[in-house]
Amino acid sequence: MNGPHDMGGMHGMGPIPIEPDEPVFHSEWEAKVFAMSFATFCNFFPVDETRHASERMPPGDYLSSAYYERWLYALELLITEHNLVTPAEIEQRIAELAQGE
Amino acid sequence: MAIETSNECMTVAHAQYLLQNGVDCRGVSDDPPQFQAGDRVRTKVMHPITYTRLPRYVRGKMGTIAKVNGVYVFPDTMGQRLATKPQYVYNVRFAAQELWGPDASPRDCLYIDLFDDHLDAT
Amino acid sequence: MAHTHRPESEIALRVKAIESLLVEKGIVDPTTLDTIIEAYEHQIGPHNGARIVAKAWVDAAYKQRLLADGTSAIAELGLTGFSSEHMVVVENTPQVHNLIVCTLCSCYPWAILGLPPTWYKSFAYRARAVIEPRKVLQEFGLVIPDEVEIRVWDSNADLRYLVLPERPQGTEGLSEAALAGLVTRNAMIGTVKVQPPEQPSTLAA
Repeated sequence: MNGPHDMGGMHGMGPIPIEPDEPVFHSEWEAKVFAMSFATFCNFFPVDETRHASERMPPGDYLSSAYYERWLYALELLITEHNLVTPAEIEQRIAELAQGE
Repeated sequence: MAIETSNECMTVAHAQYLLQNGVDCRGVSDDPPQFQAGDRVRTKVMHPITYTRLPRYVRGKMGTIAKVNGVYVFPDTMGQRLATKPQYVYNVRFAAQELWGPDASPRDCLYIDLFDDHLDAT
Repeated sequence: MAHTHRPESEIALRVKAIESLLVEKGIVDPTTLDTIIEAYEHQIGPHNGARIVAKAWVDAAYKQRLLADGTSAIAELGLTGFSSEHMVVVENTPQVHNLIVCTLCSCYPWAILGLPPTWYKSFAYRARAVIEPRKVLQEFGLVIPDEVEIRVWDSNADLRYLVLPERPQGTEGLSEAALAGLVTRNAMIGTVKVQPPEQPSTLAA
């Protein structure tokens, strides 16, 4: 698909953001998104299906989100499309957790 | 032939196996490769609305086969869970000026791995 | 780095909710998640790639095997792994400079270099490395003379790429382990050169 992910040669992206001494993950949620994606690779979703899922993020969102936000989008899209979890269950669990905090 | 997955929860042992061994993406084909190193090829002009590993910036461009990498499963169909569709993958060299015009360095090149379904003979 | 467009706390809560649902439904196992995170945070990293490079510098026969068939030569050292199953090693020389990118996502040899740094995953690098590699390299402090050919490798398929950097001058007496200590992650992607021991590069992280 001719999505924003196909960005070879695009202009206007600014300087390369070189971050010295960067950690592997910048937060616990990044680590968890990565690990949940890895743990569903192959057994639930071929890796190319997860790549394609991140490309299906709406272009404006794709270009304004961070790397692991796009992974989160792909994970959520695939688990809901394959009926492993429903969107309503996710929203309900978010509300429950928010109340508990 | 849709791609089926086991839908099993990944165990620690399976994760360790994957971390150490990965996933073999090679496939098998009875056909010989269409192209050999040194052959001139043109990438297809195509705009599928589905998944493809042929980026826009190399579509419709003339390149040279640098190496025949062997047979691999085809991501463009795997990404839609359609079929493994194994085929040859070639490393293809493009002059930077073929891709980007005369402003690019006349010395520089781009190398990219493309599948049979991405290429036409010239 | 690319900043999130939603508050971090909102994302963290969403991730927690999804994790608890996936665990509850038996789709992911929390111990497996910990194993994966531990592996990439503490076991897998650029030190793996540095071993390969140092061995190639001191062992000409190994270097020949590495350049001819990266996958097998790397397997000799036991360094295979996820997202490094099919490896190609490209050699920097005084005439040729190699640079690795993945324009479509951020494919990278995880088992050899660990997970990629933010700059490798950035839109700026993915967009610019193919169209203006010389300007990109200048931002890393590396000026490539006009007469040197730049080869950019877009790792869009299942093969993964590793740059074999040039061995710096003045390292003839160093052991393989000491040489490995000089090799940086960025040098194995092709955005910097390996510096001799006395001149550490400021961007060599």
